Amino acid sequence: MNGNTGKIINVDLDKGSIETEILPEEYYTKYIGGSGLAAKLFWERGNISADPLSPEAMLIFMNGPFAGLRLSGASRNSVAGRSPLTGNWGDSSCGGYFAPELRYAGYDGIIIKGKAGKPSIMLIEDEKINILPAPEYWGKGTDEANRAIKEKYGKNYRTLIIGPAGENLVKYAIILNEGHHAFGRAGFGAVMGSKNLKAIVVKASGKNMKLADPEKYEELRAELNPKIKEALASDVMRENGTAANLEGGVVSGDVPIKNFTSNYWEEMGQELNGGILTEKYLTKRRACAYCSIACKRVVEVKEGPYAIPEGPGPEYETITALGSLIGSMDLAAVCKAGRVCNDLGIDTISAGGTIAWAMEAFERGDITEKDTGGIKLLWGDMATVIDKILPEIAARKGSLGMLLAEGSLSAAVKTEKDTINYTVQSKGLEVPMHDPRGGGHGLALAYAVSPRGACHVASPMLFMEMGACFYPEIGFEYELEPMTDENKAETAVIAVALGAIENSACFCQFADREIAIPEWVGLFNSVAGYNWDAPDMMKAGTRVFYLKRLINYLFGRTAKDDALTPRILEPARDGEPEGVVINFEGMKNKFYELMGMDPVKGIPSRKKLEEYGMGVEAKKVWRET
Amino acid sequence: MEYWKDENEPIKAFVKLFEAAMVDDELTGGLKKVNQLILFDYTENGPNCSFWVDCRNGELKVGPGKPAEEPDMTMSLSADDAHRSWSNKLNPVMAITRKKIRVKGSATGLLKLAPKLKKVAAIYVTVLKDLGWEDKILA
Repeated sequence: MNGNTGKIINVDLDKGSIETEILPEEYYTKYIGGSGLAAKLFWERGNISADPLSPEAMLIFMNGPFAGLRLSGASRNSVAGRSPLTGNWGDSSCGGYFAPELRYAGYDGIIIKGKAGKPSIMLIEDEKINILPAPEYWGKGTDEANRAIKEKYGKNYRTLIIGPAGENLVKYAIILNEGHHAFGRAGFGAVMGSKNLKAIVVKASGKNMKLADPEKYEELRAELNPKIKEALASDVMRENGTAANLEGGVVSGDVPIKNFTSNYWEEMGQELNGGILTEKYLTKRRACAYCSIACKRVVEVKEGPYAIPEGPGPEYETITALGSLIGSMDLAAVCKAGRVCNDLGIDTISAGGTIAWAMEAFERGDITEKDTGGIKLLWGDMATVIDKILPEIAARKGSLGMLLAEGSLSAAVKTEKDTINYTVQSKGLEVPMHDPRGGGHGLALAYAVSPRGACHVASPMLFMEMGACFYPEIGFEYELEPMTDENKAETAVIAVALGAIENSACFCQFADREIAIPEWVGLFNSVAGYNWDAPDMMKAGTRVFYLKRLINYLFGRTAKDDALTPRILEPARDGEPEGVVINFEGMKNKFYELMGMDPVKGIPSRKKLEEYGMGVEAKKVWRET
Repeated sequence: MEYWKDENEPIKAFVKLFEAAMVDDELTGGLKKVNQLILFDYTENGPNCSFWVDCRNGELKVGPGKPAEEPDMTMSLSADDAHRSWSNKLNPVMAITRKKIRVKGSATGLLKLAPKLKKVAAIYVTVLKDLGWEDKILA
């Protein structure tokens, strides 16, 4: 096989068995890799009725075809399976350094089932793969565990580690690579914790890779890496990180404030933006493997109540989720809150979303100090967030920790009051930090139809609406007006396919904006030898999207679940988008029609599935016709 | 040019725009925070079709032509696209993506400047009216 290794590791922690397996090439040509290939394997082998935190649940890590090939943004990795937070299909992408090392060791992915008898780690050294008891790391924060593992095995051993939140099955626990890069969303840290698996550690001795056309690939790589590096957007993010344009986002109404109750807070934009982070706290810029953008931040807060030593710094989502969303514009506090989340192993987006919901509920009197164990939940009270709320969530300690560890939707249900209306989520996943009312109405559609729930990286809709890309070769050559529904359904059809390609190829959305469609096709063909043209590639992307929809259907999700909670669809109360209404149902209905999806079941028609070479899958969901 | 009869007209409008912005304390304060010497370069429509804004060192100055010093940032585009941009009829991100706007210099400066320009643009229609150029106002 070219490009991919074709080989995965199957681990059964119940039996203590470890086997390697060669996958059929057709799996790759149809589902690419990453979250697409993971979906294919889950569809075939997953136990649909299994609780995501039970031993039967599958935890899948999967590389894309470009892992380790020294191309900017192309060495990410996906984790996938059933999300414990949402109960739906879940996947999450992570940059960092794990994917290349796994690839160099000879594997495209890992499938883990079962539960180890005691806290363990998985150690991969080329062909030598072991599950090792490792109770000494259990209970430790990600930073301490990462340092201890590297001290024991070597600093070049690459790590995936969960924190106390994962051990305690917090539903939005993360998995962290090198203590800095997160599989942030959908709670796979809890799945790892449920398997008594504290860490996965990998070290390769070689870099043998077989490409279909190495010369052509090198030619493309030599063109693309400088193109990505020199792009204005890359320059901006290298300089000031992913929060570089936060102030601009505030002006357009894209940045959520106080649980999405406001779309404008000028001072906050001036205090929390990436330029201020650079000026006040940045000590180093860092990059994921082989990436020339270097958007990662290393920060130090030298003094004050939120002093932290030099270490991983927050990116845009964290700055907003643990800043404006919970009513704070204290950047030092945000840096510390982000660091605490990393160490405890908590997703900053879902944490921010859940805490913001709780703060609003407290303000409204829907939850009281009786529910919170005496803790007052006040907008912008960062000391309480950092010292009490986050630790209690990670430990599932006290009534507040128990309530919020389940995520905003479950917490709202538990209140037995009408609080779901002001959770801000889709399919149970908290909405990321771009408000469609100001960021672009198409984003509302993209959030709602995303298989894993509200997700800003399931498709490049945000970039397409803002005008940061255009793809004439696949029909996206028109300009969009963000604040209308015009052409949004048509654009979403392209966007979901592109997003599926990105997440299956495990590409970074910041880097690949600079890659034109013919270059995308050239990459796949030169690396894996698919002999694709642009329609073939787009078809593979749409197929991946369809498959994830089918998996969700088996979980009981239908068209009615492609929804957003009322808060995000009510007209904005202030700022640029004040009073504007999103025509959500109109966009959704049109999207369904264009995608050939059943308006009740929410899945593609039998005919559409057959058109995409998914006749076998169609039989499973369209048995009655 | 679609909107201008000669290269002097756009510069007259845009310099006037910034002069009008200078009487607004909020706009002035915002622009000063950018702290850059910026050249708006429309010379594809004529050799003198450019103006500069100097918001360094707590001051705010504007003038036609090219600045005496090397600018921190240069934004190059056509005078027609500049008119569309000030009229909120041109998506600047898309214009940059499609190379209609070319930016040279400080990326940080650009991001500081962009939100302020949006506020400056809000008074562009008034400036055109003051100049008696209602016919140039884009619907």
